[in-house]
Amino acid sequence: MKIDVRGEICPYPAKKTLEALERLPAGETLEVLTDHPPSLEMIRIIAGQRGFSMKVEEAGAGEWRITLSKMERVL
Amino acid sequence: MQRSRFCFTAAFRDLFMLKSGRNMKGVIVGMAVATVGFGLIMANLLPNPTLGAIAPEAHANPVGLHLLLGGLLFGIGMVAAGGCTSGSLYRMGEGYAASWVAFAGILGGLGVASHTWNWWWRTYIRSAPIIWFPREVGYGGAILVTLAGLLGGYLLVLWIESGAPVAAADFPKPVTPRGFAASVGELYAAVFRRGWSAITGGLLLGILNVFLYTAHMPWRIVGEYARWANALLSQVGLGPGTLLGTDQLSGCALRTGGGVLTHGLLLNVGLFGGSLISALLAHEFKPRFSRNRLRYAQSLGGGLLMGYGAGLGMGCTVGAFFSAIPSLALNGWVFGLALAAGAYLGTRLLRYLP
Repeated sequence: MKIDVRGEICPYPAKKTLEALERLPAGETLEVLTDHPPSLEMIRIIAGQRGFSMKVEEAGAGEWRITLSKMERVL
Repeated sequence: MQRSRFCFTAAFRDLFMLKSGRNMKGVIVGMAVATVGFGLIMANLLPNPTLGAIAPEAHANPVGLHLLLGGLLFGIGMVAAGGCTSGSLYRMGEGYAASWVAFAGILGGLGVASHTWNWWWRTYIRSAPIIWFPREVGYGGAILVTLAGLLGGYLLVLWIESGAPVAAADFPKPVTPRGFAASVGELYAAVFRRGWSAITGGLLLGILNVFLYTAHMPWRIVGEYARWANALLSQVGLGPGTLLGTDQLSGCALRTGGGVLTHGLLLNVGLFGGSLISALLAHEFKPRFSRNRLRYAQSLGGGLLMGYGAGLGMGCTVGAFFSAIPSLALNGWVFGLALAAGAYLGTRLLRYLP
């Protein structure tokens, strides 16, 4: 699944990421395109709380592509 | 601020939205540093605080209903607009169109507040007490009381965080320890052993705030905005006239007149310029326009609420909170509590704004 939250102000990039993660089918990864620097930190917190690994790549000037994928549960 | 993503709005909002205290911890650490620094400066400026006077430029102001209402409105406004007065200023430097709209809203709100100021002054503010801790218990006691309060706030943040979802603890590399006791142990490690970007930001701002006070006055923002708003209104014949009692108040009480080049002006322009330079260096600058028109309405409405709230509260997240608590004055705590309540309501409100 992909969402594009460019141009959005705080806290919408993080809020929409959270909503998308809740809808995300099992086994799929979520790709978030954002140009809002603080949302990188907020999404990192969300990923940590919900057990997703987070990969950040620069996708042009002041834009980032974040890939979130569910981590394997170790019991 | 631009580098550490330091944000007063997120500090309050994310406690409720994400149960995350990352920013609030930075804010608390910054205030703790400034508390000690301000205490030493004020003890220098006014060696005997028990005689009734208050140290010059300390952000000590009357405590009352106006402060609670101001903080509440400001808290709702900053969450709706996505940034407070200082946050909007540095986002303007990063290129956010919505933050320029919020800035216009803040000036408008301050203009309205100036027109209703005299009523508030006569009804509440004039008779409200100024509670400045050093006058009651001396500097040592006041610093201890303030630091104890900040520690209490910090523990409260840890307690809120310990209620967050626990998924991370099940994984090989836990992101943060869970549970209240483990978090308290983590506090020691974080303060004394590891760096933390929001805490680093808070520490730097706390130290800078102390330097600002040694130069002239603590960090403040909206006192200057109010001067701009009222100067603009006066240009079109809508000036607020005389603002009763403001010469007896400190910090960011509403202002008129004054010269063009003031410390406040240079501080605000510097914050905007510093953010612009920092964003440019980091390749993070870019004009950003929201595709959702509702955002501009939110920014304008939030700005107006913040402006009016800051007028009543005699300051914003900076002047009436971040600089007021280290000024060892009760008004900073009351405004902070009201801000938290407002941010909670604002966060609830966001659920209905897609």
